Amino acid sequence: MNQPENRSEIVRLENVSKVFGVNGHGTTAVQAVTLSLSAGELVLLLGPSGSGKTTLLTLMAGLIEPSEGRVLLFGDDVREYSEEELQRLRARRLGFIFQNFLLIESLSVLENITLVLRFAGKDGAEVRLAARNLLREFNIDRFADRFPAKLSQGEKQRVAIARAMANGGELIIADEPTASLESKRALEIIRLLQSLAKDQNKCVVVASHDLRLVEFADRVFRMRDGAIDEEVRVSGLATRSG
Amino acid sequence: MQAQPLRMALTIGGIALCVVLMLFLLSVYRGVADGSIEYIRSNKTDLWVLQGGATNILRGSSILSTGHGNLLRDIPGIQSVSPILFLLSTIKQGSQASTVNLTGYDVTTGIGSPPQILDGRHVQDDREIVLDHSFAAKFRFNIGDQVIMKEDTLQVVGISARTNMFVIQYAFVTLRQAQSQIGYPGLVTCYLVKVHDPSTIAAIRERIRDELPGLEVYDHEEFLRNNIREMQSGFLPLLYTIAAIGGIVLTTILSLILSINILERRKDFAVMKTLGSPWRFLRGLIFEQGLQISSAGCIVALVLFFPVVRLIERLAPEVSTKTSLEQISGVVLAVWGISIFSSLLAVRRVRRIYTLEAFS
Repeated sequence: MNQPENRSEIVRLENVSKVFGVNGHGTTAVQAVTLSLSAGELVLLLGPSGSGKTTLLTLMAGLIEPSEGRVLLFGDDVREYSEEELQRLRARRLGFIFQNFLLIESLSVLENITLVLRFAGKDGAEVRLAARNLLREFNIDRFADRFPAKLSQGEKQRVAIARAMANGGELIIADEPTASLESKRALEIIRLLQSLAKDQNKCVVVASHDLRLVEFADRVFRMRDGAIDEEVRVSGLATRSG
Repeated sequence: MQAQPLRMALTIGGIALCVVLMLFLLSVYRGVADGSIEYIRSNKTDLWVLQGGATNILRGSSILSTGHGNLLRDIPGIQSVSPILFLLSTIKQGSQASTVNLTGYDVTTGIGSPPQILDGRHVQDDREIVLDHSFAAKFRFNIGDQVIMKEDTLQVVGISARTNMFVIQYAFVTLRQAQSQIGYPGLVTCYLVKVHDPSTIAAIRERIRDELPGLEVYDHEEFLRNNIREMQSGFLPLLYTIAAIGGIVLTTILSLILSINILERRKDFAVMKTLGSPWRFLRGLIFEQGLQISSAGCIVALVLFFPVVRLIERLAPEVSTKTSLEQISGVVLAVWGISIFSSLLAVRRVRRIYTLEAFS
């Protein structure tokens, strides 16, 4: 695979559209989006349900191919990756935070973390040690042996973020990470995501309709009907929405 | 699965019942095979002589005369010629009537006697009879009881083992008693021939064929094989059919339960795929679960099997079983094979789970 032209660029979308359906009679979920995301920034895709935020996230992660345009992930067109290469890429260089956390309920907190480490190709005793260290880092090591059903919403979200971080991926994809959290917990999570971008130089992309996130983002893309309506200045939007 | 104990119990119970069924069929087969063949195997002789065209004594008819026996005795090199008469006969006790494979043999030589006496002794006199143990258990005959066979009253003097052919059981009387039952004193079914020198068996066999055309002559091993083949041709198709049904039921149960689990955990699989799970890991999960469920079913089946067999044998004494470690190992391996096949069927569902489902 090629090296990215700009070493800090993680993902670039060039005039990307995505149509679901066949023979041109489908629904356009994403329309002519062009943007570039780099390491160390927290980017917010803001918009109401059905605006195409999640589809854009999955395009960035290489989970789906664009109908038109190009998605360059770590410098290479996602179409050039084989299915296996994309799987390895997700396992080693991408982290995911899902809406409603989506922890594996039948696994303990520790096992949820070790699972990702195993996907990333790590094995043996180092896996459990690394997972425990990560849980300690996120101050949730006391929950290591608990099952997700026994955790609060905030605790679940911290585990979900720890899981996204476990493989050390450069690109963190978060889909509505604060949707089910009350203000105090949401703020905690936002700050955590911000620190991932600033302190650990990750590229964090968040899709959300939560305006509380705006003031923490480096850039905010407002989406409407599958297109980026505008790249808004944070303060301006905050003022308008406030 | 662990979160739903009732479903888990039903699944493992269903698998266990299939395994018990398979084990039971194999055990019955071994029991029937032994019961059918053991009589021939135990009466080891050099040559079996029957009427032309007869290949076995299980489902073939052979009628010879005592004159054939005299002609055989005249052939040089033959040490002894022992007649046996097999006929289906009805035994009565009170209002009960049941059929046995009545076997009349020469009690002076003892050739043609039961393979094993469990209780009592062999017959010595015309008015005595030895009954198979499962027949005796079923109709509650004991040593010393009187049974009626046609016009004759016989006393039970012994209980034999390895003489249960499942559909019918052996009973043993003197040759003369058996002949009186049929009404023709000069008739026998076959002759068991012993030679002086084992190296001459083939030559004597040819000589009998030459001198007594119209008779069939088999050496012991060949005759045993004929009877085994006959027994298998009657029993194995049924066994295979029921075993196949058991296998299909097992495959269906396992495939269904694995598929249901996959569907219920659809989101988990979508998440794992999104997180970059290698395909072999997801496939391994299904195989592991299949093996765990089937192994649990096997363990429960083994716990249940022996008490169930004892109960069946008590309720239906004619059901004679024989179980070996090889049979158990074979069934467990077959169940694991079915589990792998079922997992392969279920795994296809995982392929149809898409990463986007984690975002819906």
